[in-house]
Amino acid sequence: MNSILRPVVGGVVLVLLVTGSALAHHSFAMFDHTRTLTLKGAVTKFQWTNPHAYIELDVTDAKGAVTHYSIECTSINMMQRAGWRSNMIKSGDKVKAIVAPLINGEPAGLLLELTLPDGKVLEPGVPGANTYKRTPEQE
Amino acid sequence: MRAVGFAVVTAFALSLLPLHAAAQTRGASTIPDITGSWERYGARGGAGAQRDATMPPPAPQPPLKPEFLKEWQTKLQAAREADAKGTPLATNATLCLPEGMPAMMGATFPMEILQSRGQVTVIEEAFTQVRRIFLDQPQKAIEDVEPGFYGYSVGRWEGDTLVVDTVGIKESVRYQNVPHSDKVRIKERIHLVAGNILWDEITIEDPLTLEKPWAFTFAYRRNPDYKLLEYICEDNREYADEGGLQKIRIGPR
Repeated sequence: MNSILRPVVGGVVLVLLVTGSALAHHSFAMFDHTRTLTLKGAVTKFQWTNPHAYIELDVTDAKGAVTHYSIECTSINMMQRAGWRSNMIKSGDKVKAIVAPLINGEPAGLLLELTLPDGKVLEPGVPGANTYKRTPEQE
Repeated sequence: MRAVGFAVVTAFALSLLPLHAAAQTRGASTIPDITGSWERYGARGGAGAQRDATMPPPAPQPPLKPEFLKEWQTKLQAAREADAKGTPLATNATLCLPEGMPAMMGATFPMEILQSRGQVTVIEEAFTQVRRIFLDQPQKAIEDVEPGFYGYSVGRWEGDTLVVDTVGIKESVRYQNVPHSDKVRIKERIHLVAGNILWDEITIEDPLTLEKPWAFTFAYRRNPDYKLLEYICEDNREYADEGGLQKIRIGPR
């Protein structure tokens, strides 16, 4: 993956920033880089499309209230190169997703890591994934 | 009979040799085989990065004329501030538009080059971008080319280097968001610098926006095992809101 998705070296920092966002298809600045949410829920849809795939997830809290999250992945081209397949996730699958949430508070996030029902862990190859601060799971 | 059959087969095989040789050379020069899949190479830098002579130097800042430089820097600053606030500005990428020239040669995803009679074709996996370089044909006057994403490209082999000239790039199609006029011209020198390392030396000329030509180089590594995947913007959930900010559609369609 590294050889395919890499930031371009710019002569100045400004160029680096512009190029970085271009390679990422669009800016990921709408997602919070300072915390993560750990979402455990049931998949209602796995949208396998470009420019990005999405996982639709129903998360039920301790009181039984359901919150629906839209989880943005990366390009399905990048995901295929990272080993993902469209048939890996089905509606009803119980998964755990670590996401960088939308800053504006809407129920959506950028997928950093997904644990499948069989325990397999997948990453979608978000550019600069290690720049998102992981925060502990809250029960 | 068997001997005659062998002789016929041998003669047939020998007759193919000159054709094969002709495909490899044109005149005295040898045209390199650059057909196949390539991926961007040598773009990573920074502290501790291993660099060698096959990695091109970093691109310089565009030598824009002062009034255009100010516009470019102002927009860059606005984009940075919007990103810092978590409300990024929408771009052509948000709208799932292809990158066009010369950005597509940056090979966000792997790229395929096809050499056929009279034409070199470049296919970039991201957005399924395709550009055609017509060989040994005269370039058109800029005003005779309808502006588009990839422009109109002609090329010729100078020894082992494919020299390409492109005009007719839409003003909305910008690399690094650098403004250009309808007079922009992109020159390329595409050549191998090692057996499996290809360079595209790009020079952008624009008498209206640039003080001098803007030159930078993209490098690629051959990846003979890679088969390009399709890329269709089938459901783009990103969009620009009325304020020009990038948003995403929440919830399934």
